[in-house]
Amino acid sequence: MPSDRRHPSALAVFATLSVALAAAMAAGLAFGAVRVPLADIAAAIGRALHGGNAGLVDTLVVQVRLPRVILAALVGAALAGAGTLYQALFRNPLADPYILGVSSGAGLGAMIALVLTASVTAARYGAVPVAAFLGALLTMVVVVRLAGSRGRLDATSLLLAGVAISYTLAALTSFVMVMARQQMAAIVYWMMGGLSAASWGYVAMIAPMFALGIAVPLLSTRELNLMLLGDERAGHLGLPVERFKVLMLATAALLTAAAVAVAGLIGFVGLMTPHMVRLVVGPDHRRLLPASLLAGATVLVLADLIARVVLRPVEIPVGIVTALLGGPFFVWLLVRERGGVR
Amino acid sequence: MSAPAETLLAYRTADVGYAETPVVRGADLDVCAGEIVGLVGPNGAGKSTLLRAVTGDSRLLAGTLAVAGRDVRELAPLERARLVGVVPQQIGAAFSLPAREFVALGRHPHVPRFSAPGEHDREVVQRAMELTDTARLADKPADELSGGDVQRLALAQALAQEPRVLLLDEPTSHLDLNHRMQILDLTRQLADEGMAVLAVFHDLELAGRYADRVSVVADGRVGEPGPPERVITAESLRDVFGVRAVVGTDPVTGSVSVTPVVREQAVERGTRGKVFVVGGSGVAAPLLRRLVLAGWQVSAGALNSGDADQLVADALRVEYPAIPPFAPMDAAAAVEASRLATSADVVVVCEVPFGHGNIDNLLVAVRAKKPTVLVGDIEGRDFAGGAAASYWREALDHGALVVASADEVDPSAALTAAHPSDSSPASGGLGSGPGV
Repeated sequence: MPSDRRHPSALAVFATLSVALAAAMAAGLAFGAVRVPLADIAAAIGRALHGGNAGLVDTLVVQVRLPRVILAALVGAALAGAGTLYQALFRNPLADPYILGVSSGAGLGAMIALVLTASVTAARYGAVPVAAFLGALLTMVVVVRLAGSRGRLDATSLLLAGVAISYTLAALTSFVMVMARQQMAAIVYWMMGGLSAASWGYVAMIAPMFALGIAVPLLSTRELNLMLLGDERAGHLGLPVERFKVLMLATAALLTAAAVAVAGLIGFVGLMTPHMVRLVVGPDHRRLLPASLLAGATVLVLADLIARVVLRPVEIPVGIVTALLGGPFFVWLLVRERGGVR
Repeated sequence: MSAPAETLLAYRTADVGYAETPVVRGADLDVCAGEIVGLVGPNGAGKSTLLRAVTGDSRLLAGTLAVAGRDVRELAPLERARLVGVVPQQIGAAFSLPAREFVALGRHPHVPRFSAPGEHDREVVQRAMELTDTARLADKPADELSGGDVQRLALAQALAQEPRVLLLDEPTSHLDLNHRMQILDLTRQLADEGMAVLAVFHDLELAGRYADRVSVVADGRVGEPGPPERVITAESLRDVFGVRAVVGTDPVTGSVSVTPVVREQAVERGTRGKVFVVGGSGVAAPLLRRLVLAGWQVSAGALNSGDADQLVADALRVEYPAIPPFAPMDAAAAVEASRLATSADVVVVCEVPFGHGNIDNLLVAVRAKKPTVLVGDIEGRDFAGGAAASYWREALDHGALVVASADEVDPSAALTAAHPSDSSPASGGLGSGPGV
């Protein structure tokens, strides 16, 4: 590899990723238990925009697949965004909401809300995301406190604290499940990570969280770049480091909560996507963050498509797909870096 | 004359430390526009801690600290970053930002929120990179560069901040000779253009060469800053670093030169006898050092001020009669030398030429009638009209040992040879000589 490492232009990156996302979403609409030609999809969406519905296919496309694809895109982008933030704040390419235990925290919060609001469906749309956010935030606080009890947050103690907290949360989650035995099947399925319950209601539920969650970091890409230099150096260059970290950690918790509230625990997207994107566009967050959001959306839309078609007409939870694809991919990354690219 | 320079950094009875524990107490220190103030002192004395208080990396626990007249505790981070640039000891380069973008991060405090860096920012970055000789690295990923390159990039980044105060924390410890001088010459130039520089130096000679004023930080105290030649002295080195050193003036740069001779702790005390050494012109310096280290109480014949042996004797606190540069021994010096020689257990005469100016050194050494070690041969060294050769023979007649070089001098051997049955103060010493 030449020492003068050049990255492709920002325009090329965003154009490619946008096309990829559009193609993935189109495929997500077209394929599934039944195949719908692209022309019919366009027609169905056209009719829906004018308030029309020409039957079953229209309902399938507009009420089932379209919200599902959009939800997959939002969840994927949220997870990738949260992963990018954690990796920047902790300067650790292994940080992601899943590994830090934040996803589990959000999951536990969401599950408690689910169980408590079992009889009132309407309450869920309010309670679940709020509880997920509180769970995520609380977990983050505990993990950071545990890892940084002696002043500095080093990568190893952070990951160890995350793993330890994840186990504790898993135990608590199992406990809640046992207590709410009649809903156990639904909860287990949700925990494995799935988008099968997707609806416009879910989209509306997480859209504001998502919007806020990506707006703040997108306006802070320069500050995120300073964090690459380390806390102390970032401070020298004028960043109020502690305040910024708190803001970004809260934002990442919000993104994680949005994803977990509607799709359960989906691993690897938050870890893999920013890592992969960084290899292509470099560490500059002005490019890395938007590119990761687009890539994360694309990855999850495709993963969800695979989850729907691979055992057609039976669906598997999308979390299984991301883990099955992500695990080996990550191993490949490690091996590739070890082997040294010349 | 120009107007008095503005004080840009002012510590006033400042206690600085971490958490609630002060590392440095009661620091009073000013750094004015246009000057470099150097902090020297042993490791862990608090030099960096003192420096780091400006950026809030260590805590100001009491007293005040002002930057350009403003209390640091009231400076917003961005304001502070426009006033103060820092070059840390070492910068972790765990990132693959291209060098130019790395330096451009230094513009952060000047670029308003929600706007992109403009033409002026690019010019400042380019100039900072040219000054630090890093412009040619612009497109290389910072994490693939050497430590020295990264250190110069860190300086470029600090310069991109266009600060009025520059803080350097041992900025050259990872640099080679060329880049070390380049960085410090540049720092000098920046100070001359009006920057106030506070720098931690681990190298005393660099501090002496580049700092206008130096302050010694030791035992939690910050010494009063003063000109290097007044602050960096043999006494201060002994007190602060526990090192006996020759402190002089570098003949080329005119700045302080420091030659450490022995560590205080390495000197064994009072375990051996007394040795009187006749030297001069630097022939005895290594021997003096070796004997002092081995625990002998060493004295010497008369030495001219400025002579290499005299400087080392001073550093080692060896007692000797001092005479002015190039002057011959006078009666007083001869009497003093005689007193030292007769109170010694062993006398050593080094391979020094003897003339009328120093023949008395040889005379008192021989007439002391002590166990004697002679180094080399008198042949070719007698410029005193035969007197030196005759004293030399006299010494040999009294049973003096002869060794080929000063490295072979062993006072224990001389004692053993003179008192074969005596268990002298030197028994079991530096490889005892053969029993007779």
